[in-house]
Amino acid sequence: MHILSVSQYVAYLNDTFKAIWDTNEAAIEGEVSEFRISQGQWVNFNLKDQEAVVSCFAVLNKLRVPIEDGMRVRVSGSPRVYPKWGKLSFNVERVELVGEGALRKALAALRAKLEAEGLFDASRKRELPRFPSRIALVASRESAAFGDFIRVVNERWRGVEIDLYHAVVQGDKAPDSVMAGLASAQKHGPYDAIVITRGGGSFEELMAFNDERLVRAIYASKIPTMVAIGHERDVTLAEEVADVRGSTPTDCARRLVPDRKDVLYELAHLEQGIAASVENLIEGHKETLTRFESAADRWLEMFRLRLDGLHRLIASFSPEAVLKRGFAILTDKAGDVVASIKDAKPGMPIAIRLRDGSVDGRIEGSQGTLI
Amino acid sequence: MPPKKKAEIDFSKGFAELEQIAAWFEQGEPDLEQGLKKFERASELSHALRLRLEEAENKMKEIKDRS
Repeated sequence: MHILSVSQYVAYLNDTFKAIWDTNEAAIEGEVSEFRISQGQWVNFNLKDQEAVVSCFAVLNKLRVPIEDGMRVRVSGSPRVYPKWGKLSFNVERVELVGEGALRKALAALRAKLEAEGLFDASRKRELPRFPSRIALVASRESAAFGDFIRVVNERWRGVEIDLYHAVVQGDKAPDSVMAGLASAQKHGPYDAIVITRGGGSFEELMAFNDERLVRAIYASKIPTMVAIGHERDVTLAEEVADVRGSTPTDCARRLVPDRKDVLYELAHLEQGIAASVENLIEGHKETLTRFESAADRWLEMFRLRLDGLHRLIASFSPEAVLKRGFAILTDKAGDVVASIKDAKPGMPIAIRLRDGSVDGRIEGSQGTLI
Repeated sequence: MPPKKKAEIDFSKGFAELEQIAAWFEQGEPDLEQGLKKFERASELSHALRLRLEEAENKMKEIKDRS
């Protein structure tokens, strides 16, 4: 008979467990109860079915999915007796949710948590530029979503650069792959927007877009994000956290770029408006010019009338006007005017200019008085 | 480097400038000389924007460098 110490016995049990239990080959599935977290890092819960219960222990940061009582989960790890307590516990390395019900419950819990943190606040949503010129696209190059997105962008718009960051968009690797694309795009930027898209799928297939790390990465993006996951009912958290959400890859393309037909129409409208304004401006100046011209004309007319008056006044002083009134002008032989008796010597020949001609004469004598 | 073709205009900036010019005219600015200059600029812009919408191509490339 072997006699073992208590420590030896526990060590023996644990060695035995190690030898017979392959973590990668076996897992336990059951319903969670009495879930609790202590000191912010240790997790204890029971896993049960109708007949049995096993207590489980885990480190909090190893749990990638929120767990609560009543959820059906599959845990991987190894059985172990804790020497201090002598109690058999299942040491959990990984937890997977089982069935849509559990997934939905976990998703609701995560949504509530992120919502409380303000990740989905409308106030922090950024607008995408109206005419993007450089876009990063995180999608699977083989997917129909990718083809649809590119086709609709090409149908609508010209001159946009699209950089594809190929990503796996389904399965376990999807969250890391999409996050890698997102991170790479941040480095290769600047981009006007980062678009993450994939086609529709079942609730489970789309779970990658509910991954907390991916949701937080989208939240932290320095470049505005647009997420469009084609599906019927369920909106993923990645879409809720994005700045802009599209319902399908094609809807996403439509929201991203305008239709050039609309923009050409708008351009024509702008051009016409500007042309009409310029015409009005020129017309306005023409009118001002016409007003100025007619004012100048009126001023000239007034000036001309004044000039006419002056002209008549001056004309009234002309010798002809004087002759017409009956006066005569005497000139000597040389044609000089004889205006004084001093210049009029007796016997001197003179010419007398009258209204309608002149007569010749000779000075007979002179008196010192006018009459 | 060859001079940039007009088709390579930044559409966003060009369109915004055109909208600004239209708004300037709508305010009824009376300066003819400035108006004619702006009109000339608007014609240039709309020509370049149209050219871009008619001649430019979308460019697609895959970024594989994840370093």
